[in-house]
Amino acid sequence: MSAADTRARLFGGRIEWAGLMQARDIAVQVPTVTVDDPVARAVQVMAVGRLPGLIVVDNDDRPRLVLPGTQVLRLAVPGSYQEDAALVRTIDEHHADRFWSELGERTVGDCVPRPAPRPVTVQADATLLEVAAIMARQHSPLVAVVHADGKLIGAITLDRLITSLAVFGPDE
Amino acid sequence: MSAALALAIFVVAFALIASERVDKVKVVLIASGAMAALRLIPGAEVFHSEHEGIDWNVIFLLFGMMIIVGIIRQTGVFDFLAIWAAKRARGRPYRLMVMLMVITAIASPFLDNVTTIMLVVPVTIVVCDRLGISAKPYLIAEVLASNIGGAATLIGDPPNIIIGSRAGLTFGDFLVHMAPIVTVVFVVFVLATRLLFRKSFQYNPDRVAAVMALKERRAITDPAMLRRCLAVFAGVIAAFALHSVLHLDASIIALLGAGVMLLVTKADVTETLREVEWQTLVFFAGLFAMVAGLVHTGVIETTGNWAVEAFGDDYFVAATVLLFGSSVVGAFFDNIPYVATMTPIVEGLAEAAPDAQTGRALWWSFALGADFGGNGTAVAASANVVALGMAARTKHRITFWEFTKYGIVVTVFSTALAWGYVWLRYF
Repeated sequence: MSAADTRARLFGGRIEWAGLMQARDIAVQVPTVTVDDPVARAVQVMAVGRLPGLIVVDNDDRPRLVLPGTQVLRLAVPGSYQEDAALVRTIDEHHADRFWSELGERTVGDCVPRPAPRPVTVQADATLLEVAAIMARQHSPLVAVVHADGKLIGAITLDRLITSLAVFGPDE
Repeated sequence: MSAALALAIFVVAFALIASERVDKVKVVLIASGAMAALRLIPGAEVFHSEHEGIDWNVIFLLFGMMIIVGIIRQTGVFDFLAIWAAKRARGRPYRLMVMLMVITAIASPFLDNVTTIMLVVPVTIVVCDRLGISAKPYLIAEVLASNIGGAATLIGDPPNIIIGSRAGLTFGDFLVHMAPIVTVVFVVFVLATRLLFRKSFQYNPDRVAAVMALKERRAITDPAMLRRCLAVFAGVIAAFALHSVLHLDASIIALLGAGVMLLVTKADVTETLREVEWQTLVFFAGLFAMVAGLVHTGVIETTGNWAVEAFGDDYFVAATVLLFGSSVVGAFFDNIPYVATMTPIVEGLAEAAPDAQTGRALWWSFALGADFGGNGTAVAASANVVALGMAARTKHRITFWEFTKYGIVVTVFSTALAWGYVWLRYF
């Protein structure tokens, strides 16, 4: 019996709230990328997995960055345009449509903002309130769940969190 | 004992700042905290004394200007001007470089160098990419032009802000004493770039159409706001220049200007405050506290007395040593901590001078050396570091030596010209 099963008892096909749900219970396995992967692959991983963001891990499988989808898109926007809205407006439509093709071989590591933000992570035993609070505070629809040693267990997406709260939450 | 301790903390902190291996804000906060805990800085005085504490005139002048510039950069006027200039150049490399250098050198005396670089680098990269040419020589030339142009005024370069505040020099003083030599150095520099970068100039006439397709008019979305911004900015510059009539400190003028700018442009306060580089302001405060430790424990006085004795009555030698010494040191270290440390020593020297003119000559020598030294190497000034960082992120990586081989040449001739100027004008 899994940890989740011990906390939530099933009655006639529905789960009764036991009030002890933790991050590890709703975390799911998601594909990850490293800083050495090309940005094009990172975008592809996110699109194929229908993920709201991406987790960038190091060689020891520890999250280095947790990027919301908008920030993954930012990796694909050429650096010259990122901080200069006025300059972006001057680009004619013909060239504007082609910014995607200018990615080349740029890696995730080449494009991450500096200084890199701290990864949005929670410990395995974090409560769902902690998960919700960090998502809201960091504007991130994706949270990495880690062991005490920092290694990745899985991820919680906004969708997954809201569904869990709605399904497993106490009745009105 | 306390002097040795203060000096030891300072030297370690300075080495860490120079190494760039540790966040410089952390370094100054820990070092000044250690000095405070060991009672090496004068207690609460550090918050209230200009000479043994934080120079709030500098901090608030920077703060006010950051707000003003933060609002102006949103107007898109810079992108408009740079693209307009690139179109006029029609892809001719030297003409393009001169246009971009002139825009940079005109902006840098009024905006700080880092902001100028952050405005001009992205548009330069876009134009060069369109022309299918390397952006490196253009970016290097812009950084060098920015450091030269910034030397012309009180607000153009952070070392000038520190020197102006400590020496009581006004915006007008800088215009009268620094702008003439800066203009000469800039003209020589523009002519020299034809030779310096001759191997890098590449002309692709078939790519000119791509530059002509840029729509510079779209950069400015709110012309009325731009007009209001420029009017307030002109008012601020006029108020700086009218110091002898208004008797308002530069920091007060900058703060008033920032307030009026927020009012007339209806800019969002929270968003505008995000443009303020808080790390820089905290760095300056920590740096001043550290220097206060050296002043309070007598290190500065001892060094100053030694300098006065060493130079004797020969103030031309003192000016020469200050000019070339500051240029050399400024080329290898960030010139802001260098100037913050040296300012009390120069103040002692200037006070010992036989007349005010000679004392001021020392200040101008110091400012010229520190400002022009900022071109010496890739790490000599914040603008250099920022430009190289932006270039690297856009696949136009400029190595330390790629920058420095040009920087050294420009520093040598600009310092030599400045020395001739100081000699002819003040001695």
